[in-house]
Amino acid sequence: MRERLLSGFDPFVLPFMIGMCFVLLYCLVAFVRLMGQLSRKERRRFFRSLFIPKNIARNVRDIFCDCLLHVKLWKRNPRLGYMHSSIAFGWFMIILLGHIETFLFVPHRAGLFYYPIFFRYFMVMEGTELKGSLLFFLMDFFLAVILSGIALAVYKRIHRAFFGMRRTTRLSLIDLIGLYSLWAIFPLRWIAEGFTANVAGGSFMTIPINWLLRSFMSNPENITAAWWAYSIALGTFMCVLPYSRYMHIPAEMILIPMRNAGLKVRAARRGFALVQIKSCPGCGVCIDACPMGLAGKKNSMDASAYLARQIRRNNQKNYRDIADKCLMCGKCKAVCQVQFDSISVRRLIREAVPYKLAHDYSYLSSYVESGAVSAENPVEVLYYAGCMSAQTPVIPRSVQRLLDTANISYKLMDPDGSICCGRPLILAGRSSQARELIRSNTRIIHSSGCKILIVSCPICYRMFREEYKLKGVQVLHYTEYFDMLIKEGRLAVRQGEERIAYHDPCELGRGCGIYNAPRRALSAAGSLVPVPKEKVESICCGGSLGSLTLSYQERSRIAVGSLKNLTANGPDLVVTACPLCLKTLADASDSTPVKDFAQVLCEHT
Amino acid sequence: MIITDFGYCLAPSNAVKVDKTTDWRFEKLCALESDVLKCIGCGSCTAVCSAGHFSQMNLRQCILSLSRGQWEKSVRSLSRCMLCGKCLMVCPRGINTRHLILSICRIYCPGEGGSNA
Amino acid sequence: MINKNIVIVGGGPAGLEAARTLRNAGLTPILLEGSDRLGGHLLEWDSLFPSNQKASEVLESLTADLEGIKWFTNSKVEEISRIKDIYLVRTSSGYTFQANAVLLTTGFSLFNATLKQELGYGIYDRVITNADMERYFATGEHPCIHEPKTIGFVHCVGSRDEKICNRACSKVCCATAIKQACHIKEKFPLAQVYCFYMDLRMFGRGWEDMYYNAQTKYGIRFVRGRVCEVSEGMDATLNIKAEDTLLGKPIRMKMDLLVLMSGIRPRKDTEDIASNLHIELGTDGFYSPRDPFIRTNESSNEGIFLAGTCTGPATLPETFSSARSAAARIIEYLESK
Repeated sequence: MRERLLSGFDPFVLPFMIGMCFVLLYCLVAFVRLMGQLSRKERRRFFRSLFIPKNIARNVRDIFCDCLLHVKLWKRNPRLGYMHSSIAFGWFMIILLGHIETFLFVPHRAGLFYYPIFFRYFMVMEGTELKGSLLFFLMDFFLAVILSGIALAVYKRIHRAFFGMRRTTRLSLIDLIGLYSLWAIFPLRWIAEGFTANVAGGSFMTIPINWLLRSFMSNPENITAAWWAYSIALGTFMCVLPYSRYMHIPAEMILIPMRNAGLKVRAARRGFALVQIKSCPGCGVCIDACPMGLAGKKNSMDASAYLARQIRRNNQKNYRDIADKCLMCGKCKAVCQVQFDSISVRRLIREAVPYKLAHDYSYLSSYVESGAVSAENPVEVLYYAGCMSAQTPVIPRSVQRLLDTANISYKLMDPDGSICCGRPLILAGRSSQARELIRSNTRIIHSSGCKILIVSCPICYRMFREEYKLKGVQVLHYTEYFDMLIKEGRLAVRQGEERIAYHDPCELGRGCGIYNAPRRALSAAGSLVPVPKEKVESICCGGSLGSLTLSYQERSRIAVGSLKNLTANGPDLVVTACPLCLKTLADASDSTPVKDFAQVLCEHT
Repeated sequence: MIITDFGYCLAPSNAVKVDKTTDWRFEKLCALESDVLKCIGCGSCTAVCSAGHFSQMNLRQCILSLSRGQWEKSVRSLSRCMLCGKCLMVCPRGINTRHLILSICRIYCPGEGGSNA
Repeated sequence: MINKNIVIVGGGPAGLEAARTLRNAGLTPILLEGSDRLGGHLLEWDSLFPSNQKASEVLESLTADLEGIKWFTNSKVEEISRIKDIYLVRTSSGYTFQANAVLLTTGFSLFNATLKQELGYGIYDRVITNADMERYFATGEHPCIHEPKTIGFVHCVGSRDEKICNRACSKVCCATAIKQACHIKEKFPLAQVYCFYMDLRMFGRGWEDMYYNAQTKYGIRFVRGRVCEVSEGMDATLNIKAEDTLLGKPIRMKMDLLVLMSGIRPRKDTEDIASNLHIELGTDGFYSPRDPFIRTNESSNEGIFLAGTCTGPATLPETFSSARSAAARIIEYLESK
């Protein structure tokens, strides 16, 4: 094998080189700016993590599994997984093999960017070499893999149901240019390499094409034209890359080490959040997952993929609208391929909205000082029903009955109105204002002298777990507590006949990871019916306080859709463990009764 | 309005001159959250209000005052709101009360001079 | 015309009155009632506003003379099909009737108050509905009514409420509440009775007098505010929250008895019947007449007529006149055929 051109250069490589240099320069500038956006502590943490062997191993594994093989996507949707990984991994292998070829045969050209890419144009094959034909075979093999992926990608645009997707990302113009140039790259490479296959060698993909082309297009000018086209496609793709969703390819390389370094999202559009936003490939998994799609077709434009796009475009009105509308159920984050923390980003966007009227909670101190919960006769268990539960009296009543049945001495933290836990404020992006509420509630809880705080509202529960520092007080959701009581034999529950479908409240399930306690306890009272989408996949009831702007009509459409999922297997009743879910689902249901967790247990004691 | 130059006073009218109040703020509020127009004044929001239990917070009265251009005092009472969302649950007209309160907080600023100031 | 058949679906006040009118005109209407007794909601009510006449007396005069009317109880209509100009009405009792005209007098159903969870019906014993109250007046027995000291009537439960998908007013609850409030005050003169209303809609003849009497003679207290949170104290008394909107302050009260004025809702089967017969429904879920002024008794499907509360909330006199006008319209229709 030897070089065909002594100069080792042909003008057709220019489009590619322009694109390549542009991308590299862009990425370099972006990286420097990004580092500037991190705080000194974060920066130190990030760089230090790059040299910890355990982290290096994790980074390599994650980059390999997430970026190239798309393992997470395979698990979720094998067809989609194959489509993405065939292109990503195939391309990676072609570039890698190109470099190996260059290194093996023309080591003095190894420094040139374009040589491995256009290797076949510059080389002439003399005789057959084993390693040469093995490499040729591998090159053709991966080209075939990529082409199959592209074929699937084209088919996906026509018939997305084949991939089990109801909706795919609607692409912007620049994304479309990127997409079409990406699609064009590999067929053009195939043709270009086909033209030179008789000279430079080829394998099962390129040689048949060579025969075909030579039979009617043997004019040597066609050869250069094909290579030009290939190079232009590459150049176009790279030039639009920084402005399209394909920026996710370089961004993910930074995202993974940053994530493994343990960085957190602290600003909506800077630092780590920016890397996450740029890493969103717009794969569309979040669009189908988003409960907003149930509210109406146009509401599916509120999914995280579009949020990332609007932030990339710097369109403040649009991204604020999307951020305000979100239910904050966390499903997009749970299914996201790049673990885009869209919930934090949305919260931080909400925090940036200016308000003229500041909150003032000074009035709470007199309530706290008046001894909201008497410190006399301290008992071990304190029960906080929360604001919402007052609207669903069946919950506090059933909880109290169960506590009485189990002979637990307890006190009520809010028999007559309560101070809000503060989570609604945090969800509305006013977290600094929530501090006052946290302080007041903490004082009330500590002054009661309790050891266990039972909470029946998942919204409060998550708040107590994440934002409160309650030393010496164990916070338990009532599902956990009653599950424990049943397990310890302190609460006897009679097995019934009912077939129960359990709805995971977002804040309890995805928010706090409590899936099994309520199911265990409920299966003591009835038989659980599987729900098509449950646990991590469960669909928000639509009542969530997370959304600021969703109208009541849109919410009820989501509730109807959520209920449809719950009643898919024909349960006798739907059970949930959240006052807001209970109210929303009960309002939406006209056939299957919706009951509370404690209510069901109460009926079986 | 007190005229003092004539050596005697005309007592200011206690009446609210609703026809004299043109309030760009309320129009802006309607654009931001049109639900403000839906209120039938049943008082459910105020009845269940967590903050209203301890303070002067009264959303129904605030909405009414805003629509009459009398917002100075009532807007200040909204600063007590904890955004807990109970009002959202009870409103028979399905008003998005939390967003309404946030929108009011964005537009109105006590001390900026209301028409009744 | 004598040999033309008319089937009336629903044996409540509207159905009975329409049947009587048609019979008096020399026809032989067929009256189908799903339950085991004729009378509809009249059977469940003790007395009627504004005159306090007993519901049973009104019902008696309606059912006194049914000669010439073919009436069937326990006959739920299962299917209505059409062959050319003839309707075939199949019932659960196994009969099929041929009809040249069908009159729907299917009525309404009372709102299921358990759906308003925050008011605690079905959870707290001392929360009852207007229907429970009438039953108590009729029988004099209710397990939870023992010398109540404070009694509250909550208007607009299940009406004027988008949360349960009903924006409409139920028209008759205000008057019913005042009637029941006066009645219970007569029974327990020492009790303090409150009416919690959003807007008091006393538009009918003699209704304002009822209101006047309730204020002056009975001392009923009217609070403009909606009760929307109820909890139970240690001694089973109810703690209620509302806002006195005229006072501009939230109020809290202890109640020994809370009566929810369940509103008028379309029957559950309305939608099925409508799609079966290709009749249009209004946004409120009741049948829509062909036009709202002149042809109020005609549905959008020829040969199907409507009367009574299946076209929306109505008082009893309105129901009767609607039934009679439907009968007149049916006769016109059959003569023109």
